[in-house]
Amino acid sequence: MKILRRIPVPLILLLAAGGLAFAATAYEDTMKAVAAGNNAAALPLFETALAADPDDLKSANEYRKAVIRTKEYDRAIAFFGKLTAQHPQAAYAWLSFGYAYVDKIPDAGSITQVILANSALTNFSKSIELRKTWIALFTLGNSYLYWPKVFGRAPLGVADLEQAVALSRKEPKQRSVYVRAWIALGDAYWKTEQPEKAKSTWRQALELFPGNPELKARLERDGDELEKYIYDQLDPNRRVDTNLAPLWEE
Amino acid sequence: MRKAFVLAFLLLLSPAARANDPSAPIRFEETGAAVGARMLHHTREFKGRYADVLGMFTSGGAAVAVGDYDGDGDEDLFVTDSGTGRPNHLLKNQLIETGKLAFVDVAKAAGVAGGNDERDIVADALWFDADNDGHPDLLVARFGTPILYRNLGNGRFEDVSVKAGLTKFGNTIAVIAFDYDNDGRLDLLFGNYFPPVNLIDLPTTHVLPNDLDAAANGGGVTLWRNVTAPGSHDIRFVEVTERAGLSGQTGWTLDVGHGDLDNDGWQDLYLADDYGTDRLFFNNRDGTFRDATKQALGRLDTRKGMNVDVADFDRDGWLDVYVTNITDEYMKECNMLWHNNGDGTFTDLAKETGTCNTLWGWGAKFGDFDNDGWLDLFAADGLRSAGKENYIPVLLEMIIKPGVDFSELGSWPHIGAMSWSGHQKKKLFRNMGTLAFKEMAAEAGVDNDRDGRGVALGDFDNDGRLDIYETNAGQESLLYRNVSPGTAHWIELSLIGSKSNRDAIGARATLKAGGVTWIREVDGGNGYAGQSSKRLHFGLGAAAKIASLEIRWPSGLVEKLPAASVPLDRLTTIREGSGVVNERKSR
Repeated sequence: MKILRRIPVPLILLLAAGGLAFAATAYEDTMKAVAAGNNAAALPLFETALAADPDDLKSANEYRKAVIRTKEYDRAIAFFGKLTAQHPQAAYAWLSFGYAYVDKIPDAGSITQVILANSALTNFSKSIELRKTWIALFTLGNSYLYWPKVFGRAPLGVADLEQAVALSRKEPKQRSVYVRAWIALGDAYWKTEQPEKAKSTWRQALELFPGNPELKARLERDGDELEKYIYDQLDPNRRVDTNLAPLWEE
Repeated sequence: MRKAFVLAFLLLLSPAARANDPSAPIRFEETGAAVGARMLHHTREFKGRYADVLGMFTSGGAAVAVGDYDGDGDEDLFVTDSGTGRPNHLLKNQLIETGKLAFVDVAKAAGVAGGNDERDIVADALWFDADNDGHPDLLVARFGTPILYRNLGNGRFEDVSVKAGLTKFGNTIAVIAFDYDNDGRLDLLFGNYFPPVNLIDLPTTHVLPNDLDAAANGGGVTLWRNVTAPGSHDIRFVEVTERAGLSGQTGWTLDVGHGDLDNDGWQDLYLADDYGTDRLFFNNRDGTFRDATKQALGRLDTRKGMNVDVADFDRDGWLDVYVTNITDEYMKECNMLWHNNGDGTFTDLAKETGTCNTLWGWGAKFGDFDNDGWLDLFAADGLRSAGKENYIPVLLEMIIKPGVDFSELGSWPHIGAMSWSGHQKKKLFRNMGTLAFKEMAAEAGVDNDRDGRGVALGDFDNDGRLDIYETNAGQESLLYRNVSPGTAHWIELSLIGSKSNRDAIGARATLKAGGVTWIREVDGGNGYAGQSSKRLHFGLGAAAKIASLEIRWPSGLVEKLPAASVPLDRLTTIREGSGVVNERKSR
């Protein structure tokens, strides 16, 4: 549990605190609304909960999922903007703020995508400044990889991803979600023209996460085929999986 | 899901599911200089603090219009320039007189060289018979006011713009002629890029797009109804933009296209807008149009629309629309090949057909280059080829600056000698007849890397094979003569309206041969900065004789021509109501 101990409020306690702030019955009611497909009704309920506990990553995650379904991206961006202004020390609020931008990217025009991606980077960085968590380091490092090569952003992601992997390696149990950072670190090496280091990283990860299909897919490919595969994965027009539930569901 | 279903359905049911013979080559030879058709274009150079940025945003203007202005039976070319004081070119084809493809520039003698002055920048050109007298008139579209030259029929032209009422200032970048109300007279639709401010004498510095994906401060379109009295040479236009329901358009229109998209005999419209949303309008048949974009296309796009060409690429009897956008390392928009579903809706099949990526797209045209019966595609691309330094990282810093005002000239970094999506290879997509295209520009000899703009197709040497004229911004134009060795038969039709407009723009020919049905419509300037020949060209593939030919004229008359009256491998002239009036052998 070292990763969780590195943050001022361990994730589990944080989630529990979120649960307390957002009274169990209210949370259940909100989730019922979501389950019934009434996402619009759920949005203000989540916002109330997050206003009470801005670091409640679980509610923020569910809120963003409802936002994606309703395509109310600008509402979420405005909400997290206000939330972080009111709670500038809430690291996970900054993280969620960044994700709110990322969630809008697939539905945005090509230039707006760049603006959104850049805003996301700013907020992820702020989250790391406040609290160096695995999720924030992975998220920031991984985000750089989506930028076209001409912008020269990929090298900036290497250090963050190396730190994320290092954090996860100190954990006694390799939770399956950690594989994402390994994959991204390999991709970062590959995008910075270190193909051998990329392959070595993916091979090492496969030993820790046997059978992982994304690792296998990369290791099975070379040259143009690998390039196409990686670029397909990093296509900004594809919706990135920003669901953070695996962090606490495992 | 819907797209996959449509594709599968088309593959199963369409007679188009016959694979093309990939072994028959398509070959072109670039002969522009040899035949006197290679023209150097100059982009406009501005003065003052914003000269660099304005030059970057106006780096078009290299246009070509194909038309037989002297009626001698070969296709002539009007090629534009945009530099201050630089002449445009009227390239008279001497094929008929001399038996050899060769052009001579007669623009000055004809009185059509001018247009690039201190206030106006030439941007596009169009041949159309405004007064139905059989002599194609010439419209020169400008960032400024247009020039309408009436063809006097003696090799000279008269500027009748003011008398014709075409005095409204606009930053026009595209123009088409079509008869939107089917009254027998050709109307004009101007596509305007910037809002109507004089870029040479700026009243404000807020003249650029206010949003780079959904700009709403562009020039939109203006529609001009031709009200010339029948038989009169006193050409008159009146603006009907508002009355027609088109005044709400505020996009950065880069190209406009027309065609009968719902097979009702009336011309519909597609507007390609840079920095945002394209629009599709159906004709209400009462002088108005209705915006059907959301229903027809399923969404409002955010792409950089650059070109509209209209043709039935899959031979299902419905006109499809090809739109180029921008696809490059840093911006992956993909083009749009709108397959007409025949029910008022369209499905984008660009990815599925392999026609998605033409880099920084410009003009693109459908044409059957190998006469195999399937429409291929040639696409120009490339924005600015200059120094080694890349403008994109510099531009990025501006784009991500918080609160930046994109519309402000001062916000944009100078480009200087930097390149921006330059040195791009042109694309030629061969239609394989299986709802798939194969890119083969290099093999065909057309993969030049100039800063392409306009594309016009025509059979310049009257040999039954479609040639290509490509204009390039700030560079020399190219003429690709088609030398493909294929042996398939072909026909070309020259249609003359009588009750309909004399150019027969909007007329539809339905040809049946060898169990295949083709439709073609005469268009009035579809495609960015390039008006193709008004002749209808059909490659017949394996067919050795025609089964039937039917012409649906804009007047509503449907004329069935005896198959025997339309010989193979000939240009045939058909007059509305009179059938075949002329035929000419190929060279």
